Amino acid sequence: MAEQLYNAVFIGSIYALFALGFALVFSVLDILNLAHPTVFMLGAFIALFVIGTLGLPWFVALPIAVLVTGLFGIALDRVAFAPLRRRGAPALSSMISSLAVTLIVVRLVELRYGGDFITFPAGTVPAFVFRVGDATFEGIRLAIVVLSVVLMLILTYVLRRTQLGRDLRALAENPRAARLLGVDVDRAIAATFFVSSALGGLAGVLLAFAYNTLDSRMGVPLELRAFTVMVVGGMGSLPGAVIGAYVLGLGEVASLVYLPTELRDAFAFGLLFLVLVLRPTGLLGQKSPDRV
Amino acid sequence: MRRLVAVGIGGVLLLASCGGTAAPSANPATATVAAPKPDIKIGLATAKSGAANFYNPQQSNGALLAVEQINAAGGIAGAKLQLIVEDDGSVRDQGITAFKKFIEQDKVAAILGPTLSAVAAGAHPVAQAAGIPVIAISNTGLGIVGKCDYGPCDWIFRASLGEQSAVPETVKAATQKLGLKKVVIIYGDGKFELDDLTIFKDAFKANGVTVTKEIAYTAKDVDFAPFVTQAKGENPDAIVASSLAGPAGKILDEVAKQMPGKRVIGGNGLNSAALLSNANAGLMVVGTAWSKASTDKTNTDFVAAYKTRFGVDPDQFAAQSYTAMTVLADALKRSGSATDHAAVKKALEGVSSLATPLGAFSFTADHDVKQPTFVMTVKDGQFTPFQ
Amino acid sequence: MDAVSDFLRTYSTTIAVIGVNALLALSVWLTLYAGQLTLGNAAFMGVGAYVSALLGRHLDTPFPVALLIGSVAAAALALPLGSIVFRLRGVYLAIATLAFGEIVRVVLLATPITGRGQGLNGIPPKTELWHIYLSVLVVAYVLWRVQGSTIGRAWAAIREDEIASASQGIAVGRHKLAAFVIGALIAGWAGGLSAHVTFSIDPSDFGFTKAVQVLVFAVVGGTPNVLGPILGAGLLTALPELLRPLKDYRDIFQGAILLLVIIYLPRGLVTFVDVRRTRRLSRIGALDVA
Repeated sequence: MAEQLYNAVFIGSIYALFALGFALVFSVLDILNLAHPTVFMLGAFIALFVIGTLGLPWFVALPIAVLVTGLFGIALDRVAFAPLRRRGAPALSSMISSLAVTLIVVRLVELRYGGDFITFPAGTVPAFVFRVGDATFEGIRLAIVVLSVVLMLILTYVLRRTQLGRDLRALAENPRAARLLGVDVDRAIAATFFVSSALGGLAGVLLAFAYNTLDSRMGVPLELRAFTVMVVGGMGSLPGAVIGAYVLGLGEVASLVYLPTELRDAFAFGLLFLVLVLRPTGLLGQKSPDRV
Repeated sequence: MRRLVAVGIGGVLLLASCGGTAAPSANPATATVAAPKPDIKIGLATAKSGAANFYNPQQSNGALLAVEQINAAGGIAGAKLQLIVEDDGSVRDQGITAFKKFIEQDKVAAILGPTLSAVAAGAHPVAQAAGIPVIAISNTGLGIVGKCDYGPCDWIFRASLGEQSAVPETVKAATQKLGLKKVVIIYGDGKFELDDLTIFKDAFKANGVTVTKEIAYTAKDVDFAPFVTQAKGENPDAIVASSLAGPAGKILDEVAKQMPGKRVIGGNGLNSAALLSNANAGLMVVGTAWSKASTDKTNTDFVAAYKTRFGVDPDQFAAQSYTAMTVLADALKRSGSATDHAAVKKALEGVSSLATPLGAFSFTADHDVKQPTFVMTVKDGQFTPFQ
Repeated sequence: MDAVSDFLRTYSTTIAVIGVNALLALSVWLTLYAGQLTLGNAAFMGVGAYVSALLGRHLDTPFPVALLIGSVAAAALALPLGSIVFRLRGVYLAIATLAFGEIVRVVLLATPITGRGQGLNGIPPKTELWHIYLSVLVVAYVLWRVQGSTIGRAWAAIREDEIASASQGIAVGRHKLAAFVIGALIAGWAGGLSAHVTFSIDPSDFGFTKAVQVLVFAVVGGTPNVLGPILGAGLLTALPELLRPLKDYRDIFQGAILLLVIIYLPRGLVTFVDVRRTRRLSRIGALDVA
């Protein structure tokens, strides 16, 4: 039982780490960035490139991958979202442009690395193991668990207590008003995309390290989970997203233990549906959702 | 700017439509010289993009190598083979369209493919209705040849070892050598995995092994620790992974961690070159259609030629598509006329103990491949026979 | 003439799929036109597909009757669902309908009669091209007429401002529900037609990917009128076939074209025609008249 609890916490942490960047862009810019799974995948492949092709160690690859995916986020905004903002396009069109970018980037990665999953060269992935009594804990997995909470705390602090955070919140409330108030809107948007994508890239690298496997579609299974987590936790709330992630992780493992296994997936979506209908603000939602 | 984009899009469409019609008319220039025989066209529908694109380039390269060798050796009674490869995008309607293009536009003599069984469920009926011989080269599931859901499927042949044949052999070998009494099956929710689940359950029953629990995962699951923990609770003698290679790698890692010493028995999904670099690949027991280590001369020649031509070792999917093309060429030679589909079909039925990388090759009365199963494990990053 | 019939025989499946996708895009257009973003239509398509295929297989139901029952079943499911989820709006509504779609998929995966993950194979190809295109024509015509009617104007009003519409005595809830249920009816019909084109269906055909795809057809085509979704479905379904000569690069070009279209025509392909007309009218000085 304790083992399944640890499994659930780890799964929750993966969902949280993935959802943080996704939720950040949504809460500040109201964009459902369907390219987030692609950024996640890209992070892992950049690490592979640095380790496999350049022959550098993992602790160099990790920051490079995070930095490059962060920059990719800014480029993503310039190519796929900024032109739409300038033209006052309907909100839905940003979903489509992010899908288009996904098509292109996934294919480029496949042309270079193939479509099958691959592993890092032998012995290049960090492998610390801690033993506490009988139980063994892998360093990378612990890092994922700890980071998912620590990063959420840092982000929340930045949003609440710093000038950048105040700018972002003003932007989230009303972009035009924010500009009138002297907020450098372009810089704030770039910062949002940089941080969101860097987080996505970090999640991708850590997950690829944890499983020592990566493929061009590795982000896809997490996409719907990220929606779920965001809604369950309350849209616009980062702590909510993290709590939502743990609720989902625990719920999935609990339903594996207690329910007929075919119906396990129904749990996640049943939960999502119920939360939406009964409590559309989510567990920690602050923004009032559009509700008639 | 708008106009520019429109022109751009129009240009692409134009380019596309030209390309589509210009490509098939191949050799008008050579027609003047002593009337060489027209090329014999063979269609290969394969997943070059989409969810199953990892079967390539191996799957198309295998067929390509065979075609090049056959042409270099003089072709089929003086006529050259021409391989036309179309991407099926891993989806059914593109697979169907690829088949229709082969049949209606290219007028091919026979078709190989498509990669996935789920795509074959849509594409094979098209060839069956048109009366064009098809050799399936990577479909391993139920209902591909013999008894098919869509009615008669006598134009469909299969060169890929079906799980109905491979899994029972694997289960038998594993039961004997590991002394299995009870196992737990972890299975995915796709067509391939569910076919495997059915076949595994029957095979274990036939061998007197109890399946104490069946645990389902979905295509959207990321972490496999909870499934293995759940399986461990049953204290089984081995874990069965009815899955594709990606999840199988994670199941192998978790079994190594949580249940040291236990083996993972799998179907064709585990038979992937990508799994060889997994640190725990040595735990698996899998039935395969092909052994790279086979010392048969046809096989060693194939492995060497493939390596020279493409710079990498072939995998099973390359060996199977190479074999299918070799088998087809043999049938075409004996058929007398490549354009007479019925004659080609009859000649395929008559293929008998042909030397191929898969071993001596024949079809059963149901048009399924008749070949031995290699029960393998992994040692030093290579598939090796399971002892 | 031969060339034309060759072309038709080769691409009949693609042409059929274009028509089916046009129907699906029209079904989601309905709710979009009323200002509601829903993602449940892939699931309704699945319901129509499974119900009609199962009726044909087990009860020998005549094809048109099976189609009809399939689409009514989808609508019957939409009615209670709509009553619950239309308390929500925007992304919340989209995700609630998406969650419903995933639940349908899981149920299909777990139910023996639907063939679980193996799906239903060997479905007889009863759908003719004219079935599909007659359906597209009828649906487009009806929707076009409805668009100009009182109901259509009510939908547009709800899209622009729900509260103002309610204050003018429009039954907002009922109108939204009507759009949703009629959309489900169309999607179910499209599902039944498509199941009898490709010989085989399985739950993964009706999941998240399909739901997003259908929405993309409608949005890329444009929502001002019924021509938009048809155009969008046509272009985006034909694109993979048109780009075949690009081989390994076709996904890249497809992505690039999608990106260019949405950036330069963010309100959809149909607005391209509008832009041209507006320009021509202004040149001949007749803009005010139009």
